[in-house]
Amino acid sequence: MKKLLSVLLALALVLGMGAVALADDTFELALVTDIGTIDDKSFNQGAWEGLVQYAEENNISHKYYQPTEKTTDAYLDAIDQAVEGGAKIVVTPGFLFEEPIFMAQDMYPEVNFILIDGEPHSGDYSEYRTNENVAPILYAEQQAGYLAGYAAVKAGCTKLGFMGGMAVPAVIRYGYGFVQGAEDAAKEVGAAEVTLNYHYTGGFDATPEAQALAASWYNDGVEIIFGCGGAVGNSVMAAAEAAEGKYVIGVDVDQSIESETVVTSAMKGLKASVYQTIAAYYAGEFPGGATTVKDASNDGVALPMESNKLEGFTQEDYDALYAKLAAGEITIPDNTTADTADALGTEIVKVTVVD
Amino acid sequence: MSTIYFLFQQMLLFSIPLLIVALGGMFSERSGVVNIALEGIMVMGAFCSIFFINRMQDIMSGNLLLILAILVAAASGMVFSLLHAYAAINMRADQTISGTALNMIAPAVAIYMARTLQANGVQQINFNNTFRIREVPLLSRIPVLGDLLFKNTYITTYLGLAILAVAAFMLYKTRFGLRLRACGEHPQAADSVGVNVYKIRYAGVMISGALAGLGGLVFVVPTSTNFNATVAGYGFLALAVLIFGQWKPLRILFAAFFFGLMKTIAASYSGLPLLKDMPIPSDIYKMVPYIATLIVLAFTSRKSQAPRASGVPYDKGSR
Repeated sequence: MKKLLSVLLALALVLGMGAVALADDTFELALVTDIGTIDDKSFNQGAWEGLVQYAEENNISHKYYQPTEKTTDAYLDAIDQAVEGGAKIVVTPGFLFEEPIFMAQDMYPEVNFILIDGEPHSGDYSEYRTNENVAPILYAEQQAGYLAGYAAVKAGCTKLGFMGGMAVPAVIRYGYGFVQGAEDAAKEVGAAEVTLNYHYTGGFDATPEAQALAASWYNDGVEIIFGCGGAVGNSVMAAAEAAEGKYVIGVDVDQSIESETVVTSAMKGLKASVYQTIAAYYAGEFPGGATTVKDASNDGVALPMESNKLEGFTQEDYDALYAKLAAGEITIPDNTTADTADALGTEIVKVTVVD
Repeated sequence: MSTIYFLFQQMLLFSIPLLIVALGGMFSERSGVVNIALEGIMVMGAFCSIFFINRMQDIMSGNLLLILAILVAAASGMVFSLLHAYAAINMRADQTISGTALNMIAPAVAIYMARTLQANGVQQINFNNTFRIREVPLLSRIPVLGDLLFKNTYITTYLGLAILAVAAFMLYKTRFGLRLRACGEHPQAADSVGVNVYKIRYAGVMISGALAGLGGLVFVVPTSTNFNATVAGYGFLALAVLIFGQWKPLRILFAAFFFGLMKTIAASYSGLPLLKDMPIPSDIYKMVPYIATLIVLAFTSRKSQAPRASGVPYDKGSR
């Protein structure tokens, strides 16, 4: 029995290797997935859709590769596979690729990389370097947060909450933008006072503590909470579901499928930015060597208006606001503006920072 | 008043899983087997039952589904705990090590299985929470008590309290309970009067497995919308509750409520009208449960009543 098993295992191993070796078709556009798969309704899917759209419009061969596990080595192996498969461009969605790309940019100087939501750096953060063949893309999270904050107050909410994950720059930008958006909308609709509870949970997990905090805010009258940090949002959703008539704002991607209580989401335009960057490559203008920040002027941020459940915030409102944002008429603080959210100098919005 | 109701309802979400799991640990330890695998068993129980809910929620919902999930959680926890029982009882392994092994393997298995079994390959298992009871008809109209216990609740709350009653009865009023306690205090003596120590210890560990598995489900359902292969250290916290409660059912109830209340205040004081205006840094609230635990343990440790043979493998041949 044991012998049979080991023979089978060996056979599987050999066949598995053979399958890789036999694949001599080449794929020009490649995507290496982050944790999760290609239909994760999050980063991978957004980036993949952008890639597929360009590939199909221009009839270019494309393929995705899934790392075996969530380690730098496994990511590098998958990148290696993609390169072996003839990739000219490798798209890597997610900040977990920062370190693998830092290494891969030297290993494969002839291959171009698009790194979404991160900049290549060494494992110990001691060295940041972006070679000519890497195009890192960051997002103006403060604009996405701004849209969400504006929408919430415009729709009539006066008691808001912000619950971020770790206080990393991206999360801080979301939060400050959220505060500013609420402030501007409050001035516009003439609200007397808007309160905003502001908190970082310190992690990206769904914890009972986060759920309890969100529940206590809702119980205290808070109407809508921006759950900004991975699974922290799930805790907020759980709390919102338990309370009546309470809402959640999702983050990064359209999270309305995860809970009925999600009325809108502060999204990053993954699909558009991947599409644009690939198009730039084929136009001979690959933006390698320097980080590109995507914002409203190039569809880098958005609210998913097709799943919007905020009554009182209409498509027209959104379009008008977005046009102003894209034209650069609105200045939004980013993570370097102030140390804490209550030091942003808002007049109508009263920010209470909760440690 | 509504704040107090809120605080109490929220506290139950923390306390009931702690209570159930700590009672599970009690059965194991009083039979003489240390069970630090509670955390791992919680993860397995939560994984199996949440996965079950995920698969079945299209065809059924509400409390019928929850009851079935409870059975799945208890059964899977029991099966998983058999590994610990076999190592600790038959193989006479170091119980701390076999428990640690279970704690380490459980999240790994849960992640691996979730990614293999789910079509989208992600490790989070989503579920729709259709189990909340907004208010229990009639009972919720009882003044005070109705607001405390019969609004915004889950059947698991009542199940937890029922388990407490049954556990206390079983431990002190039945023949099985007497034998269980005997095996935890002096297994040789129990054996000399014809009690099968191995069987009793198996029963103890399996009950603890069933309760810990159930505790995993009870813990995850109200606090998230998906299961991400973790119970955030509540298995270990339940061990603290067990020791705090001195291996006695009623004291465990008190300990679980105390821990739950402190946890709730630490997490949610910013939404509580009275507390949020006080100039106390949040760190203090976060420390309170642990400081209180240290103090109470320091005072009770001298007459700590841990089962004497707990953690000692039983060897029929030894004197």
